[in-house]
Amino acid sequence: MIDWIKQLPGNVIDFIGPEIIIATAKVVLVFGVLLVTTLLVIWFERRVIADMQARVGPNRWGPFGLFQTLADGIKLFFKEDFRPAAADRWTFVIAPVMAMVPAFLAFAVVPLGDHVVIAGHRVDLVMSDLNIGILYFLAVGSLGVYGVVLAGWASGSKYPLIGSIRSTAQMISYEIALGLSLVPIALVAGSLSTVDIVAAQAGTYDNIVLFGRDLNFLEGIIPHWFIVQQWPAFLIFLVAGIAETNRAPFDLPEAETELVAGYHTEYSGIRFAMFFLGEYVHVVAISAMAATLFFGGWHGWNPAFPAAIDWLRWIVPIFWFTIKTVAFVYLFVWLRATLPRLRYDRLMWVGWKRLIPGALVWIVVTAVLNSDPEEVPTSARLWVMAVVFAILLAWVWRGDPRLTALEPWRKKEVTRGTA
Amino acid sequence: MEAAWQEGLFFVFATVITVSAIGVVTARNVIHAALFLVATLIGAACIYILMFAEFVAWAQVLVYVGAIVVLMLFGLMLTRAPIGKYGEYDNDQKGLAAIVAAAVFGVTAWVLIDSFEGVELPTDRVAATTSKDVGEAIFSSYVLPFELVSVLLLAALVGAVVIARRDERVTSRTIDAARREKAREEDV
Amino acid sequence: MNLPPIDWHAIAPELVLTAAACLVLVVDLFLPDEAKWIAMPLSAAGLFGTLAAVVSLLGAERVTLAGSFEVNDFALLFKALFCVIGLIILALSLDYFRDGRYHQGEFYFLLLCALLGGVVMASARDLISIFIAIETISIPGIVMAALRKGDVRSNEGSLKFFLFSVLSSALMLYGMSLIYGVTGSTNVDEINQVLPQQHEGLVAVSVFFVVIGFAFKVSAVPFHFWAPDTYEGSPPPVAAFLASASKIGGFVGLLVLMFRAFPAVAEQWRPAFAVLAALTMTVGNLIALRQQHIIRLLAYSGVAQSGYMLVGFALIGANADTNSQAFKATVIYIVIYGLMDLGAFAAAISFARRGGTYFISDYSGLWNRSPALAGLMAAFLLSLAGVPPLAGAWAKLFVFLASIEAQVYWLAVVMGVNAVIAAWYYLAVVKRMFFDVPEVSEPIETPYLLRAAMGLAVLALVASFVYPRLVTDLADRSVLESRGADVELSSP
Repeated sequence: MIDWIKQLPGNVIDFIGPEIIIATAKVVLVFGVLLVTTLLVIWFERRVIADMQARVGPNRWGPFGLFQTLADGIKLFFKEDFRPAAADRWTFVIAPVMAMVPAFLAFAVVPLGDHVVIAGHRVDLVMSDLNIGILYFLAVGSLGVYGVVLAGWASGSKYPLIGSIRSTAQMISYEIALGLSLVPIALVAGSLSTVDIVAAQAGTYDNIVLFGRDLNFLEGIIPHWFIVQQWPAFLIFLVAGIAETNRAPFDLPEAETELVAGYHTEYSGIRFAMFFLGEYVHVVAISAMAATLFFGGWHGWNPAFPAAIDWLRWIVPIFWFTIKTVAFVYLFVWLRATLPRLRYDRLMWVGWKRLIPGALVWIVVTAVLNSDPEEVPTSARLWVMAVVFAILLAWVWRGDPRLTALEPWRKKEVTRGTA
Repeated sequence: MEAAWQEGLFFVFATVITVSAIGVVTARNVIHAALFLVATLIGAACIYILMFAEFVAWAQVLVYVGAIVVLMLFGLMLTRAPIGKYGEYDNDQKGLAAIVAAAVFGVTAWVLIDSFEGVELPTDRVAATTSKDVGEAIFSSYVLPFELVSVLLLAALVGAVVIARRDERVTSRTIDAARREKAREEDV
Repeated sequence: MNLPPIDWHAIAPELVLTAAACLVLVVDLFLPDEAKWIAMPLSAAGLFGTLAAVVSLLGAERVTLAGSFEVNDFALLFKALFCVIGLIILALSLDYFRDGRYHQGEFYFLLLCALLGGVVMASARDLISIFIAIETISIPGIVMAALRKGDVRSNEGSLKFFLFSVLSSALMLYGMSLIYGVTGSTNVDEINQVLPQQHEGLVAVSVFFVVIGFAFKVSAVPFHFWAPDTYEGSPPPVAAFLASASKIGGFVGLLVLMFRAFPAVAEQWRPAFAVLAALTMTVGNLIALRQQHIIRLLAYSGVAQSGYMLVGFALIGANADTNSQAFKATVIYIVIYGLMDLGAFAAAISFARRGGTYFISDYSGLWNRSPALAGLMAAFLLSLAGVPPLAGAWAKLFVFLASIEAQVYWLAVVMGVNAVIAAWYYLAVVKRMFFDVPEVSEPIETPYLLRAAMGLAVLALVASFVYPRLVTDLADRSVLESRGADVELSSP
């Protein structure tokens, strides 16, 4: 009996198996790192915006004010947990959790680096290589809406409700564009798995021929990242991604001037902090996904290491991945500091009449460009391209609703309709 | 060993599904009913994962949980979000519905148990279904129903817009309506 | 990835119809309000194109898409029937939708989509295809039924149809999933081979669910409650569609399933069909006796007609001879029913459009006001009643003979009694048209297009009475036999 207890740790490992231990360790590690990252990102945002506005930003607590967010967090933690009388009890409690958890879940399929070997076990630096990685990312992302919907309704007050309706409409509209913008990536990579997609972006473009000219000097310089070929998809992804996170210039759910604070008006203390946390993790998740899908993931320049520290090589991919992600986080902050908020109808217009048709057109173009030349003759390609071009023209011609007043033929149409 | 894990988890998820399915029909509040529905659907997705059908599982989450129920909630919020006290949604058919449901459950349960009792299903048949397998099945033998579904969805989309749109023309002035008036007069 | 080759010629009718539907939808966008009716000739052209594609396939025996799609005489007969029905409905719709200014372009698009469902259904030999096809018929139907948006009855009818349709689809799908679960296949032939070895109770329950699902679609008693309200509320051309194409679509699905997928276990479900058929006939006819509204009358009489068509299913399984007898009788009945029911709707619509109403009391003395219309209406009603010299008589007689042949005498007796009941209310309308004094004596001019369509339908009915081989030949050729032994079974 006592012997058995002494051998307990070994027994436990045998019983559970190394795979489960590695998986658990990965989950705990990523969760912890994400929490810390969030603290840093919030500090980062405040400092960067302050810099852009010629202010100093948080600078008292810790070096460069690094611990400011921690202090804020502690403050929020000890605040009174207030719940309005008209609130729906359980839903009110669940909503912040529903807002936070999906953002964390998205990281399960983000490849953070290549792999390390620990005690003879190969450990891939990705929590789970699902063969449907992109689908998983979208599915989990779509769950984020629940936090907003439920928070707005459960508060039992009008501003949150209006705010939540707005942001739900926004999120479900932009989710479609987000999903469609990833289809070309799957087409090019031939897989839905994020690991495969990163693998497909290894190396550089060789043998670049443009208009019959061999551009030798570019050989080996341009990395084989999907951004080169798939930049329209990336633009759509970026815009939709920003809208998904409800950040400026798409931060209508929180338009202070109209809605007090949007869906989380009635929240305070730790529950409010959860919404906050969820938003920033979401920002990091979208940034990480942008880096993974369009900017080569963890691929980057891999310097030669002295033999003594060659075992540290696994850090390099993680370094590149982090740099790329931080760059996108910076972009998010930059946009917030620069762009004014969109009007609501304009927001819907952009989503439904520009991004979604644009993504659909781009899917067709990608499919045609990447089809087998033996199966699809050039004439067929030209035809498809011509049709796409015609659609594009018609689409642009339909124009901007703000301009309709300037176009006499449209005006006529409008008056006839109402007469 | 693994089979035992699977079986245990199956019972956990099945319980979640059953309890929340009962919640869907008994909840006093529509929003709560919708949330129970979410739990039911996620439970079903978990069971798909237990069966190694990842694609179906996540498609279920994406489509049902992430889109359909969200749209239901959205529709409720836009029209009649029950803030504060809740109304009564039950009607007097409750008992009858319970009897019918119990009967259907009884018959299917009996039949399934009776036909599969003691049968050892081969487990080696279960292999992970990848998105590639699903795609190949859809685009080879099931391509026609797949394309037909797209026509069906297009029709449903157009139809939904037609029904939901507010007509600009005054319909009461149409011939049909005038005739209806006449018919009513004669009825009286 | 190696994709199996697709027989493009075999699916040509579907391709043409799909293209036509998309074209109508797009062209409608660019038409000004006054010219929206152009969508109708466009749709008609599409249907003629589909018909041409069907004709080009005549005599073909093609199987493609891994056995899930079959083109043979049976399939072509029903594809052509759907096209003809579609053309007649288009003729009915033009005036109605142009004057009513309902969403014309969208209506024609939805109609073509629904017909596409029917055309696919005729060839579908796979549970998934059958399910999608039946949904493609009913979902546009639901929307079309709601097109009279200003009228509460249209909304109510459409909602009822929607709820019943969803419920029936759920039941049907559950049954199909059970069948897939026990057989491991969605192909009808493979199912037929594997099904007898499975547990009886499970097979019975799953077939039962599928049958209930279809019973809703073909409005068999006791699943018929939606039909009269929906027919009455929807725009009359749509009611004509629901009574003809939609119902026939359901029957085609039933034919494929019952004669191809489940005949080996017929012992278990045959009695259910006998009860269903007897109930449907009797209840439909009894309620029809009391109707004052012509559309409701046609709705209930349609329910009763479904009962006659269901008789054939109750005769399956005794031996191959009676099987094919029952099959042929049902096919003939469905084809003739489609023509005469549509004709009756057409006559009712053209009367209502030119000064009349849908109330039967208004039909008094129609003979004096418009002999042509009264004659046509009478012809269709008498054919529905099964009075010679119209094809309806043959339809009833064949089903009757088939049940005698299969020695199911009680069903034959029920049919006979019902024919008498039905004759009562059909003849009451005819009597009113010919012998009663009209309240208004204004003459009625029937629209040209409608008169042509109805005239052709009557001609067809009379011709096939005089020369019954017109239809029996078609039925003889349209065999729905399992491809049998050459099907490789995938191990379950």
